[in-house]
Amino acid sequence: MKRAGVRNSMQVLLLMVFAAMLAVGCAKKPAATTATAADQAGAQQVTQGVEEMGAGETGIGEGMVGDENAMSMPQAVSSLERIYFNFDRYDLSSEAQAILVNNANYLKANSDQKVRIEGYCDERGSDEYNLALGERRALATQKYLESLGVAKDRLSVISYGEEMPLDPAQNEAAYAMNRRAEFKIIP
Amino acid sequence: MRRFATLLFALLCLPATSVMAQIEVRAPGQQTIAVANTELLPLSGFPSPAIARELHEVMSYDLDMSGLFRQLDPASFLGDAKRLGLTSTQVDFNQWSLLGSEILIKGGYRMQGDRLLVEFRLFDVIHRQLLTGRSYSGYPGDVRTMAHKFADVILKSVTGKEGPFSSRIAYIDNRTGHKELYLMDTDGANSLRLTDHRSIVLNPDFSPNGREVIFTSYRPGNPDLYRKYLGTGQEARLSFKKGLNISARFKPDGREIALTQSESGNPELVLLGTDGSQRRRLTNHWGIDVDPSWSPAGDKLAFVSDRQGNPHIFVLDLLSGQTKRISNNGKYNATPAWSPDGDRIAFTRLEGNVFDIYTIRPDGTDERRLTFGPGNKEHPRWSPDGRFLVFSSDQDGGKGIYIMRADGTGMQRISATGGQSQHPAWSRQR
Repeated sequence: MKRAGVRNSMQVLLLMVFAAMLAVGCAKKPAATTATAADQAGAQQVTQGVEEMGAGETGIGEGMVGDENAMSMPQAVSSLERIYFNFDRYDLSSEAQAILVNNANYLKANSDQKVRIEGYCDERGSDEYNLALGERRALATQKYLESLGVAKDRLSVISYGEEMPLDPAQNEAAYAMNRRAEFKIIP
Repeated sequence: MRRFATLLFALLCLPATSVMAQIEVRAPGQQTIAVANTELLPLSGFPSPAIARELHEVMSYDLDMSGLFRQLDPASFLGDAKRLGLTSTQVDFNQWSLLGSEILIKGGYRMQGDRLLVEFRLFDVIHRQLLTGRSYSGYPGDVRTMAHKFADVILKSVTGKEGPFSSRIAYIDNRTGHKELYLMDTDGANSLRLTDHRSIVLNPDFSPNGREVIFTSYRPGNPDLYRKYLGTGQEARLSFKKGLNISARFKPDGREIALTQSESGNPELVLLGTDGSQRRRLTNHWGIDVDPSWSPAGDKLAFVSDRQGNPHIFVLDLLSGQTKRISNNGKYNATPAWSPDGDRIAFTRLEGNVFDIYTIRPDGTDERRLTFGPGNKEHPRWSPDGRFLVFSSDQDGGKGIYIMRADGTGMQRISATGGQSQHPAWSRQR
């Protein structure tokens, strides 16, 4: 039951991501984005990042199988999308990386904006451990955006741990929604 | 609290009939002591049934909670229960022996102007003598505290170790729409909000003298460490490094504070002076290090780290610098709390999506599971005498504060409904 919930929510998430990408891709002409070679390079850095993190940080070489098309497809986004994490993990899934590529493009196109990256957890886990985990998520996100060429001094981080769930329900779908990093423009 | 500071609790200088050893000390769950808990009678003036009833109810709750006593049915009491006799010569011990009572609580009260005077006596029915007595003077609003104080004295008289009932519990509650710091009695009465940060306040800890509470607050836009003086209400920000300033715990001597800071980019345990000065960094590891809990001697810290993969409980020896993992079962262990006696560490384990409370020896042996059944049980903290654990649980729906005996029996919700309550901490003194 719960497992099915995870799978469903993951499928829903994937569908949402793809749908968003398709919608964006259709609505905008390719000319709307300048990202070509630079983004390809960015995407390559992305994959390297995954390996480094999997091997070095957690000791567990788990990584979700990425959709190469989604990763290398140039995207234009009108705002900063949040990304999601697996339970007790702060490595970036290929979906998260794809979203961050878009977010980095947005930030490069809006170079006057400063952004606070907020790390969050689901309610399972100890509150203090989750504050630390939320910070890890925010820092991993920050490091990644930096690797994609966003200036470090434009990015700050804060962790709210499990304090501010998007969905307060106690089920796998809610937990998956709550394990996230969000981006807030600092006025 | 300020008002109560004026309350006098003078030990009556009665003849030294210290016969403590004559009543056997028994552990909870074993044979219990038969106690006759009588309602106090008016010493003079008009009777006030409300005061007598409240004193009796609080005493009865504490005696039950201790697990040491079997209270006799007041309906079976004979004439002596209605007679004000505060010395052993005035008590008709035959009546109480007949009922099978081993110890007897009697006393009286009197209003003097707006002040309340209460006399409590504890008698040994078998040896027909006074065990101990106290007189308390305060305001009618202090009536619960007076009963809690004498319950503490009864535990001291019967077991040699004072009870914890007159101390207090700090906790976090969101009933205003924000998580704020609260204080309440050990039975949940007299709850009082202490902060008005309108942000997120988390994870309090009492100073050993009970006069200060430290906690983390997001009010400055970052999780920073605050200290609050309970007497004056005055607050100061103690630690405001970039990143986390969380899970702070006073050293048992009150001179230092261990907490987690992440200024280095990584959550590490750090030692602070009580003025907020940085003393030294205690851990240096890429893993997450949080939730320090001091050994009673202040020479070791239990904490949570994911340095070996999943979150587990470790013990750091501050003298040698050696770190040892003590939790070897489960995949997610958290929130260690070292017992006041030093012999056990309580912690929580996440298994099948539910947290339960366990204890283990500081060397990692003799793990015992204390809680079962539905709902999470989290954030265990010990009572100052080590008899009880306070924790938060969502077993009845919303999160509330619960207490239970150290063996896991006698679980009771103490916090009121209407808000989400969590992060309890038990003061060592009132």
